[in-house]
Amino acid sequence: MAGSGKRAGSRLKTAWFHILLALADGARHGYAIRSSVKERTDGAVKLYPATLYGSIRELSERGLIEPLEGDDDPDDDQRRRYYRLTKAGRDALAKEVERLQAILDEARATRALGGA
Amino acid sequence: MIRISLAAYAALLRLMPPGFRREFGAEAVADLGEILEEARKYEGQTVIGTALRACLDLLVRLPGAWWAELRPEPAGSGHGARDGRPGMGEGLMNVSRELRLAARTLARRPGFTGIAILTLALGIGANVAIFSIVDAILLQPLPYQDSDRIVEFRHHAPGLDLPELNSSPGLIALYREQASLYETIGAFGRGSANLTGGDEATRVQVLSAEPSLFDVLRVPPLMGRPFHADDATEEGSRAALLSYDTWRARFGSDPGIVGRTIELDGTPVEVVGVMPAGFAFPDDEVDLYRAMWVDPDGPFGSFGISTVARLAPGVSVEAAQARSRELLGRVPERFDMPESFLESAGFGVTVETRRDRVVADVESTLWIILGTVAFVLLIACANVANLFLVRAESRQKEMAVRAAMGAGRPSVAGAFLSESLLLGLGGGLLGVVFALGAVDWLLALGDLPREAEVGVGASSLLLAVGLSVVAGLSFGAIPMARYAGSRFAAVLRDGGRANTSGRERHRARNLLVATQLALGLVLLVGSGLMLRSFAELRAVDVGVRAEGVLTVGLNRNSGEAPETAARFYQEAADRIAALPGVERVGITTNVPLASGGANGGSFYIESRPRVEDELPPVALYRAVGPDYFESLGIPVLGGRSVERADWEESRRVVWVNRRFAETFFDGDAIGERIAWGVDTDENDAPLPDTPWAEIVGVVGDVREFGLQDEEMRPSAYFPLVVDGSADLEVETGFLTIRVAEGQDPSDFVAATRSVVRELAPDVPVTATRTMEEIVAEAMESVSATMIVLAVATAMALFLGAIGLAGVVSYVVGQRTREIGVRVALGAQAGDVSRMILRQSLGVTAAGTLLGIVGAWALTGLMEAILFQVSTTDPVTFVTAPLLLVSISLLATWVPVRRASRIDPIEALRSE
Repeated sequence: MAGSGKRAGSRLKTAWFHILLALADGARHGYAIRSSVKERTDGAVKLYPATLYGSIRELSERGLIEPLEGDDDPDDDQRRRYYRLTKAGRDALAKEVERLQAILDEARATRALGGA
Repeated sequence: MIRISLAAYAALLRLMPPGFRREFGAEAVADLGEILEEARKYEGQTVIGTALRACLDLLVRLPGAWWAELRPEPAGSGHGARDGRPGMGEGLMNVSRELRLAARTLARRPGFTGIAILTLALGIGANVAIFSIVDAILLQPLPYQDSDRIVEFRHHAPGLDLPELNSSPGLIALYREQASLYETIGAFGRGSANLTGGDEATRVQVLSAEPSLFDVLRVPPLMGRPFHADDATEEGSRAALLSYDTWRARFGSDPGIVGRTIELDGTPVEVVGVMPAGFAFPDDEVDLYRAMWVDPDGPFGSFGISTVARLAPGVSVEAAQARSRELLGRVPERFDMPESFLESAGFGVTVETRRDRVVADVESTLWIILGTVAFVLLIACANVANLFLVRAESRQKEMAVRAAMGAGRPSVAGAFLSESLLLGLGGGLLGVVFALGAVDWLLALGDLPREAEVGVGASSLLLAVGLSVVAGLSFGAIPMARYAGSRFAAVLRDGGRANTSGRERHRARNLLVATQLALGLVLLVGSGLMLRSFAELRAVDVGVRAEGVLTVGLNRNSGEAPETAARFYQEAADRIAALPGVERVGITTNVPLASGGANGGSFYIESRPRVEDELPPVALYRAVGPDYFESLGIPVLGGRSVERADWEESRRVVWVNRRFAETFFDGDAIGERIAWGVDTDENDAPLPDTPWAEIVGVVGDVREFGLQDEEMRPSAYFPLVVDGSADLEVETGFLTIRVAEGQDPSDFVAATRSVVRELAPDVPVTATRTMEEIVAEAMESVSATMIVLAVATAMALFLGAIGLAGVVSYVVGQRTREIGVRVALGAQAGDVSRMILRQSLGVTAAGTLLGIVGAWALTGLMEAILFQVSTTDPVTFVTAPLLLVSISLLATWVPVRRASRIDPIEALRSE
C-alpha cells in the first residue's frame, strides 16, 4: 500500500486540491468553499454544486476532511454544514504543495538555464 | 427564470443516487440559487448559461456518484486512502473484476443471455435503422449552403381540373423582378436525350438548368467552370455539366473531359465541367446538366419547368409566400388575360422550402414508422425486464447468502448492474449489426428521397450506445429496486416460498405483460389499417388489363419529323408482333401511371361557341397508334378503334374517354368536333389554322397519375400524325406489347431489344417494364409502409407472445406445489387449466382494453398515409383485438397444458 502511495506523478484531483486549500485556514460550508476557490483562482475554477458536493463526499470518505458536529457550528445557519481539514487532509495538502513546488522549481531551473 | 432553472436542477438531481440526494440535495439547490443570483447581479452572465453549466456538471458527475454509492465498500477503506491518494487503481480493478464476474455469470446461462441480447438487439437494431433514415432524410439539412433559404414554387389551379402545376416562364419573370424577395431564381426541367459519340448510343437523364440554378444552390463544379449566362440563348444550348457518376462511368474519369464535345440528340454540346460527387439535384437520377434559356418575355402558360429560389436576406418563407400571392394579382393585366381568370381557375402559389418539398411525400410515414419501432423497443425491453424479474427471484437465495457472508447491499447491486450493462451493450452491438442490414433492406423496399445520404452514421451509433446504456441501467435497476426493500433474512428463513411480496411481484410482471400486449395491439391496429389501405388500393380499377403486357420505351432524337418517328414505331411494332407468343403491339407517347402520365392542354368545341373571357376547357392528351387500346385492354365503348391509315393519311380524327364524353357532351360525343391548340398570346383564342378533329371513338377511363388520384380525368387520343395538329412530341414512343395467355411478358425483353437493334442500332431501348410492375410501383408508397409496419408488428406480437408465455410458465412453475395439492384433493385437470387461464385472460383483457384506447388515440396520426380507410375503421378495430386475444391464448396454451398434467405426487415430492 505504501509503495503505491509513493508512485510518482500521482496527485490530488484539481477540485480536491482547491477544496483542501480553501479549508486550510478554517472550517467553511459548501458555498463558502466555492466562493473562496473562485476568488483565489480569479474565477478560473468554478465548482458547481454536483462537483463540489461530490468531491466533499469523496474527501470525507477518504478521511481528508470531516463535517463539524452540531455544537461546533460557528454560524446559526442550520442548513449549512461546515467542514474542516483532518490531520490526514492537512498532510495530503502539504504533500501536494510540496509536489507542485518541486515541479515549479524544476520549471524555474529550466527557464533559468534557457535564459542564461 | 431562476425559479425555473432551480426546478429543472432539482428534477435532474433526482437522477443522483439517494444517498447523495439525502446528504447534499438541499444544499446543492440552495447553492445554485445563490450562484445564479450572483451570476445575474455581478458577473453579467446569463442565468440560463450558468444554469446549463451547472446541469451539465451534474450530468458529468452522475456515473461517479452512482459508483461511489454502489461500489463495494473496501473493508479497510479508510486505510488505503489515508495518505490522500485516491483509490483509482483499486477502483478500476474493482470495475474490471466486477465485469469479468458478470460476464462469467452470463456465460453460465447462455439461454437467458442469448434471449435477452437477441431481444434487445431486435429492438435497438430496428430503432437505429429507422433513425438512420429519419436522420438523413428529415433531420439533416439538404447538402447546400444555407439550404433553409432555398425555396420552391408550386402553382395550382383547381378550377382547371388539372393536377399540380410547376412554374412558367412568365411567372418566373414576374418573381424575378422582386429582387427584395428573391436573391436568385433558377429554373430547371427534366428530360432525356440520346448521348452519342461513344461506342453505343445511350439514353441519359438530362436536367435542363438555367445557369442561375447553380447560384441558388451555391454548388460550384468539381472541375471546369459553372454555366455562364451566355451558355444558353434563344438559339439553343451549347454547354453541359456532367454528374460525377457520369464522368466516372461513361468517360472513365477522363481528366481532359472539360472542353470536349459530346452529342446530345445529334447536337454537339461542349462539356464545361463536372459536378462534385454526391451532388444530386433534384435527385441522383440526373446524368448531366444542360444550360437552359428561359424567355424573359415568355408566356404565362406552359407550366413545364420547376423553379427554386434563394430568399433574399431577412425574408422569411411565410413572407415570400404572402408577397408572391399578392404578385399573382398582376397576372391578368400583365399577360392580358381575363380578370376573372384568377378566380375561376382558383389560381394560387405555394412557396415552401426545398427541404419540405423533397420530404413531403415521406415525412409523416417516416415519423410513424419511427414511432412504431419505438414501440417495438419498449416491448422488447418489457420482455427483458420480465426475464430479469424472474431471474432475480430465482437468485434471491444466492444473493441472500452473499449478503449474509458480508457482501454489502451495494456489492449485490453492483453485480446486477454489471450484468445488465453487459447485456445492454451486447444487445446494442448486435443491434447495430442488424441495423446495417435493415437499412439496406429498407432502402431497397421503397423509393425514398435523399437515399444516397442515408447510412448508419455517428448519430445513429450514438443512439445505439445511448439505448444500450439506458436499457442496461434500467434492467439493472429492477432487481435493485426489488432488493432495496427486501429482507434478506426473511428470504433465507422461508426459502423464498411464502414470502409476503409474492403478490406484489406478480402484479409487476402482469403489468409489464399487459403493457406489452397493449403496445402490440396499437401496432396491430396500425398495420391493419395499412393493410386495408393496400387492399383498397389493389381494388382500384386502373382501366387497363395489366397482366401480360410489356412496355418498352424507344427514343428517337428530338426534332425529328413526326412521320419519320411514326414510321419507325410502326415498323418496330409490326416486327415485334410477328414474334411467336406476341399477340398485339400498340404504340403510344405516354404509358398510363408511368412516364409522368399524359400531358394536359386546352381545346375548343365546335358546337359550343367560345365565350369571351371564359377559359377554354382542359383535358389530357396523347398520341396512339393502332392496337394501343387492344393491347392494354382498354374497351372501345362507342365508335371505332385506331387504324393504321389514321396516321398514314394523317386523318383529323380523335378518340376521347368516357369521362370526356360525359363532361363535355353528356355522353354522346361521336361525330362532334374539337380543336386542340390555344394561342396564349391572343387571349387564349383558338390558333387560326388549327383544324377541327372529329371524335370517332369513345374508350374506357384509365388512371393516369396514380391510384390515389380521386377521379378519372377527361382525356383525348390523337393519331401519331395529325395534319397540322398541335405538336405532339413523338420522339419518345412506347410500345405496349401484349403476349399470349400464360406467357411471362418480361421474357420478351431480349427479343424486343434485338428486333430494335436490327431496325435501328442508334435507338436506345429504355424503360422495359411490365404493366404489372408499373401498377405495383404506383402502390409502392402504401405497400412499402405496410410491409415495414407489418414486420414491426410481427416482431412486437412475437415478443409479446413470448412475454406472456414466459409469465404464465413461471406462474405455473411457482404454483406447482399448490396445484399438486389441489389435484391431490380432487381438482380435475379442467379446474387447473381454468385457474391458470383465468389469470392470463385477465392480463390479456387488460392489455387489450388499454391497447384499444391507445390505438384509438394514436391512429389519427396515420390519416395522411391511409387510402380510403377511416382511422377508426371498425373492421380493423374488431379484428385486431380478436387476433391479439387468439395469439395470447395460443401463448398460454403450452404452460396451461403442463399445469393440467401435474402429477400431485411428483409435485409434492419436489420440495
